[in-house]
Amino acid sequence: MNVVGRLRGLLHLPRTLRWRLFLILFAGLAAAHILSFGVLFLERTMSTKATMLTTLENDVATSVALLDRLPAEERPRWLPMLDRQTYRYQLGPGLPGVPELSPRADEIAQTINAAAGSRFPVTVQSVPGGDREHLQAHITLSDGSPLTIDVTPQLMPLASWLPYVLVAQLLLLLFCAWLAVRLAIRPLLRFANAAEALDPSRKVGRLEEGGPTEVAYAATAFNAMRDRIAHYLEERVQILAAISHDLQTPITRMKLRAEMADEGPEKEKLINDLSQIETLVREGVAYARSAHGDAEKPTRIDIGSFVESIVFDYQDTGKPVACAKLTDAVVTTRPHALRRILTNLVDNALKFAGEAEVNVERIHGGRVCIAVLDKGPGIPADQLDAVLQPFYRLEQSRNRDTGGTGLGLAIAHQLASAIGGSLTLRNRPEGGLSAEVRLG
Amino acid sequence: MDHIDHILIVDDDREIRDLISGYLKKNGLRVTVAADGRQMRSFLDADRVDLIVLDVMMPGDDGLVLCRELRAGKHKATPILMLTARTDETDRIVGLEMGADDYLAKPFAARELLARIKAILRRTRMLPPNLQVTEAGQLLTFGEWQLDTTARHLLDKDGTAVALSGAEYRLLRVFLDHPQRVLSRDQLLNLTQGREAELFERSIDLLVSRVRQRLRDDAREPAYIKTVRSEGYVLAMPVEITTARQ
Repeated sequence: MNVVGRLRGLLHLPRTLRWRLFLILFAGLAAAHILSFGVLFLERTMSTKATMLTTLENDVATSVALLDRLPAEERPRWLPMLDRQTYRYQLGPGLPGVPELSPRADEIAQTINAAAGSRFPVTVQSVPGGDREHLQAHITLSDGSPLTIDVTPQLMPLASWLPYVLVAQLLLLLFCAWLAVRLAIRPLLRFANAAEALDPSRKVGRLEEGGPTEVAYAATAFNAMRDRIAHYLEERVQILAAISHDLQTPITRMKLRAEMADEGPEKEKLINDLSQIETLVREGVAYARSAHGDAEKPTRIDIGSFVESIVFDYQDTGKPVACAKLTDAVVTTRPHALRRILTNLVDNALKFAGEAEVNVERIHGGRVCIAVLDKGPGIPADQLDAVLQPFYRLEQSRNRDTGGTGLGLAIAHQLASAIGGSLTLRNRPEGGLSAEVRLG
Repeated sequence: MDHIDHILIVDDDREIRDLISGYLKKNGLRVTVAADGRQMRSFLDADRVDLIVLDVMMPGDDGLVLCRELRAGKHKATPILMLTARTDETDRIVGLEMGADDYLAKPFAARELLARIKAILRRTRMLPPNLQVTEAGQLLTFGEWQLDTTARHLLDKDGTAVALSGAEYRLLRVFLDHPQRVLSRDQLLNLTQGREAELFERSIDLLVSRVRQRLRDDAREPAYIKTVRSEGYVLAMPVEITTARQ
C-alpha cells in the first residue's frame, strides 16, 4: 500500500538480490555512460556547425565577389580552385528545385544570403532525389550571367569504429557489474548454505574466515555462533546425563528394596512407578544424545538381513511383527542408531495397533526406504508433524499408560536426521500409520 | 561335592552393595562385598571367587580400568558381570571389549542379576577349559565369514555387516565355540538358551535354517552347518580366532 510497495509493483523488481543489484549497477552505469556520450555529441555537432557556417559565409562572399569581377571567359578556369568539399560553383542555371527547405538547409540558405544577398539576388532551392540532402543557390552576377552554388551538406562526421567502441564499453560495463554482484552475493550464499547445513556436533564444515574484511568478520561471527550452539548442546547432554546418573543410584536402591519387600499390591504399584521413572530417565538421556549422531562409526550393512534380524527378535519374544517385502542392498549407516529408530517405530506400532509390518524398498536414486506399517487408528493429519516433537502426546493418549514417555518418535526423528536420513509419518489410505525412514 | 558359588560385588554405593548381597545370599550364593578397587584387590589376593560383579561408575579406578586389570592378571579366567548406569549401545561395546562377560544396566531388577549370574556360571562350567567361550572383542573367522563378537554381526568377505537376530547369534556362537563337533538338538537348545533368560520357542531346526540363510548356505547341500542324521548338526569348518579389532 505504501509508495515503495506500489513502486515495486509497478517496476516488477526481480525477486533475487543478485538481479536487483545487477540491474541497479548496470542501469546506473549505462545511464551515466549514455548521458556523457550524448552531451559530447551535442557539443561537437554545435561547434562543427558553427565553424562550418562561418567558413561558408566568408568563403561564399569572397568567391562570389571574385567570380563577379572576373571576365566571363576566365571564370571556368577559376572554378576548380574555388571548389570545397561540401560545395562547388557551377556556371549556369543549375537544376530545377523546390523552394521547401529543411531546417538545416534553411540555415545554409540564410548564411549564403548573408554572404552574397546584399549585392546579388539569391534564391536557394533544394533538389529532390538522391539519398543525401542536396541544395542549390542560384545567384545572378552583376553582368547578368547565372551562377549556381551546389551544396551537398556533410552529415555529422562519425568515425566508423565508434559503434564498436561503444559496444565494447557496454560489454565492459556488463562484465564489471556482474563481477561486483558476484563478489557481493557469493559470501551471502556461502553463509546461507552453512547455516542450512549447520551441525554443531561436527567439527567439519566451518566457514573459511578469509576474503574481504566484512566477509571475514561475518564468517568469524558465524563460526563463533556455531561454537556457542555446540557448547549449549553439549551442556544439555551433560546436564541430562548428570541428572540421570544421579537418579540411577537412588532408583536402583528403591527397586532392589521394593523387590525385597513383602508381597502385596503396594509392592506391585511401587515397582510399576519405578519402572516408569526409569524409562523416562533412560529415554531422556537417549533423546539428549540423539542430537549428537557422531558417537558411532558408520558401517556397511546388508539392510535386508538387518531388518529381518530385528523382526525375528520381536517374533522370538512372541510379538506380532511381520516382514513382507525385503530388498537386498548394502548401505553405509550407523547400525545402532538405525536399530534404535526402527525399534522405536515398531514399539509405537505395537502399542497403538497391536501389530506391525516392516518393509524395505529401494526408491529412486538408489536410496533405501524402510517403512513400518500398522493398521491402528493413525494420527490426525494436522498433528503428523507435531508428534515428532519431544513430549508431545495425542489427545486420545494423554493417559500415560498408553502414551509412554512421549519421546519415542522424537528420538527416532532426531536420530534419523543425525544419520543423514529422514523420518516421515503419513496415514495409509487403507487405515493405519506408515512411518518411513529414508536413508541418505 | 557341594560347591557354593562365591560372588564378589564391587560397588561404591553401600546400600546397593548390601541389597544385592542380601538378595543373592537369600538365593543360596556366598557373597563378599568391596567398596572400591583397593578392597577388591586385597580380597582377591586372599580368597578365590567364581564371579565378580563390577560397577563401572566408581570414584578412583572405575570399573573399566579394574576390568582390564583383572583380565591382564592372574584372574583373567574369572567371569565378570559389569553394572553401569549407561544404557548406550556403545558403552556396552566398550565394556565387552574390556573383557567383561556380560553387562547389566542400572537400574536393574535383582531377579535379572541373579539370572545373569547363573547363566554366566552355567556357561563357563559347561565348557571344558580349552573350549572356553571366546572373549568378546575378537573376530571368529570361518570359511568366507567372520563373526564380530562385540557388535554381534557377521562380516562377509567384502567387509559388509550382516546382522543376526539374538537367537541366531547365540546359535551360531554355540557352533563356533564347538567347531567340527556334532551337537545334538538338546545340547544346542541348552547352550543357546543359556546366555539370556529370554523366551525361546522356535525349534532348533528353524533356527538352523535361518542361520544357514544368513550365511548364504545352500539348504540342500550346506557347506557350513551340516545335518548329521539322527544326531544333530555340526559346523564343518575350522574356526580361527583373530584378536582385537583394529
